[in-house]
Amino acid sequence: MSETVAIVGAGITGLACAEALEDAVVVDRIPVTGGVNGWDDPDTRRLTGACRARFLLGTTATRWDGGSLWVIGPSGIERIAAAALVIAGGARPQGRAQLGIAGDRPAGVLPATAACHLAENGLPVGRRVIVYGGGDWAHRASVELLHAGAQVTVMAPYGLLREMPAGARVREGDRVTAVRGRLRVDHVELDDGRTGVECDGLVLAHGLAPNRNVDGAVLDGERVIYAQPLDDPASVAGAEAAGRHAAVQAMELIRQGGTR
Amino acid sequence: MVGCAIARELSFSQASVMLLEAAHDVCEGASKGNTGIATSGADCTAGTLECDLVTRSSPRWEQLCATLDTPFHRIGTLAVALTEEQEQRLPELLDEAHAAGARAEIVSGEAARGLEPLLSADARAALHFPDDGIVDSIRLTIGYAELACRNGVEVRRSSPVVGVRSEGGRILAVRTPDALITARCVVNAAGLGADTLSALAGGDEFATWPRKGQYWLLDREIGGRFAKVVGGVPTPHTRGIYAVPTTNRSLLLGPTAEDREDRADRGVDSPTLEHVFEAANALVPSLRREHAIKTFAANRPASDPVYRVGRDSTVENLVLAAGIRSTGVSSSPAMAELVRSLVAELVPKAGEDRPDAVRELEPLPRLLWNDSPEMLLDLDSRYGQVICACEQVTAAEIAAAYGAALPPRSLEGLRKRTRAMGGRCQGALCLSGCSFMHSLHTGDAPGRIPVSEPEATLGV
Repeated sequence: MSETVAIVGAGITGLACAEALEDAVVVDRIPVTGGVNGWDDPDTRRLTGACRARFLLGTTATRWDGGSLWVIGPSGIERIAAAALVIAGGARPQGRAQLGIAGDRPAGVLPATAACHLAENGLPVGRRVIVYGGGDWAHRASVELLHAGAQVTVMAPYGLLREMPAGARVREGDRVTAVRGRLRVDHVELDDGRTGVECDGLVLAHGLAPNRNVDGAVLDGERVIYAQPLDDPASVAGAEAAGRHAAVQAMELIRQGGTR
Repeated sequence: MVGCAIARELSFSQASVMLLEAAHDVCEGASKGNTGIATSGADCTAGTLECDLVTRSSPRWEQLCATLDTPFHRIGTLAVALTEEQEQRLPELLDEAHAAGARAEIVSGEAARGLEPLLSADARAALHFPDDGIVDSIRLTIGYAELACRNGVEVRRSSPVVGVRSEGGRILAVRTPDALITARCVVNAAGLGADTLSALAGGDEFATWPRKGQYWLLDREIGGRFAKVVGGVPTPHTRGIYAVPTTNRSLLLGPTAEDREDRADRGVDSPTLEHVFEAANALVPSLRREHAIKTFAANRPASDPVYRVGRDSTVENLVLAAGIRSTGVSSSPAMAELVRSLVAELVPKAGEDRPDAVRELEPLPRLLWNDSPEMLLDLDSRYGQVICACEQVTAAEIAAAYGAALPPRSLEGLRKRTRAMGGRCQGALCLSGCSFMHSLHTGDAPGRIPVSEPEATLGV
């Protein structure tokens, strides 16, 4: 009978969970550990080195049936027997529908995750960009966009959760209600119903939604534990605590019920 | 939808066919923004052409979709009465459905909840249309066009008709921004632009206008729990708001029916979306806004009269397939055959079958819901590379899309063909990877990757 715990996500949370367990498999879509914390960060290295877990990196978990996790990667497909599944997939900024941003669907409106990645590679989403949010993703997107040569206005609907980089203009307390523009975003509308703010790029960096992509474990699931802290700003200590707590929950689950 | 269906039907003939599309890709108008209900005709008016085409198309969906690698499920619709007044209308609607030639039955509230356990406890009774189906209308439209392409139809995208050269009541040629195309027959299936094209050709005068529909799209964890399409009781004015499980298990809420003027406006507004959500929520109380992954709008072509299908009364070689309002999906198979027969009156070769025509697209194996994924890696090792995690779209499926006869030209085109970027994170996790795949397959430089139309680039 398997007492393996399958962990999806090799960020700090997943690593801390694995470190606290005797028998764990850690799966991550990207080929390195660390998640948003970065593969070469000292905390990532410390936790990765301390794990006795089996790592399946560059591998995507697709399905959970309560007793086995299906994973697929360039090296093949595996169905890993496991007594519990820990989802430690981190979080992403909320999308337009979740944020209630109505209006048109032009180019130039991107989630912060994608905007950061493209800007890091020299492709800013616009020249006059509104970064919508006040936390970690807004900070990161602002840094990358400023570096790529864009003008950045950070629009933080509930105020700044952390300091923004020098060079970014900051507006606090405005909520974006609609995007306007036919081919490319032209301006956004604010909740006062009057103001339009011109831009040619809008980066969605507000709020957090947990990443959950394993069928059978999206909203709930049999023998599934979610370890996805939504703190903003995030902290290594908070992620580690969430991971360790998930490990305790997993061990409790195994003690109580064995496996299917 | 209508144009592509006609192109496929004509591609089985000896005629030489060209499909002109104003937008950068096929399936950009109402075809990509509808409920995907293939109705069995219950809400069509008996005796109309619309009703005839819909009821003739209805029994054929399983067979047709199997040849177009398009998902279809005949799950049936419940039109649910929540009030006494609505309940009293059901017998009349039942008679209308039977007159139209659709199967229908009145079921009690309890029986309706047996058919769809998610239904509200307030449901007093319902009309059940067991033969209604759900179809992936995007895969259907692109399937029609892809098959037409494989049979030698030349599809020119970003090619709006900007002029028509005529002589003696006959069209000689149509002009696009970069070509003059001679034709013995022109079919006007321009949807919202059908009136403009007719005016350019000097044909029958009529008006087409946008009827906007706004929608919510909910997570595929939610739609997968539905057994039936759920709607309210139609009034003489509107069919109302539906909760429609899609073939990819997401859930659509909508549409509204707002007559507008601006044809390019596809915006959504929050008050209308709230109304849509509330209407759907009254039918299915367990719906939650936090399960929304997208809101969007599309314009279906309204006109008076609807279903203007036939030879133009003045221009001899102009065939109309206009005003196909909201039943474009449901009538497209029979519509295409009708239009082919009209074209054949003008171009006899269009009536003659081509013996070597390809009639079927080979199904592309997909990772999502594949119960034996092990075999995929033997087919193509790129199935091991999941690009879009939400919809489990692999590099192999993306490569197949770009290798098609009618490949994507934009990220939106990629989404329509593969569902990559169309899941619960709406591209937050895979948009960069998809952009990379687009550049890899098309050679578009990163700064030139179009989100949709060529000018609408991802970055600047």
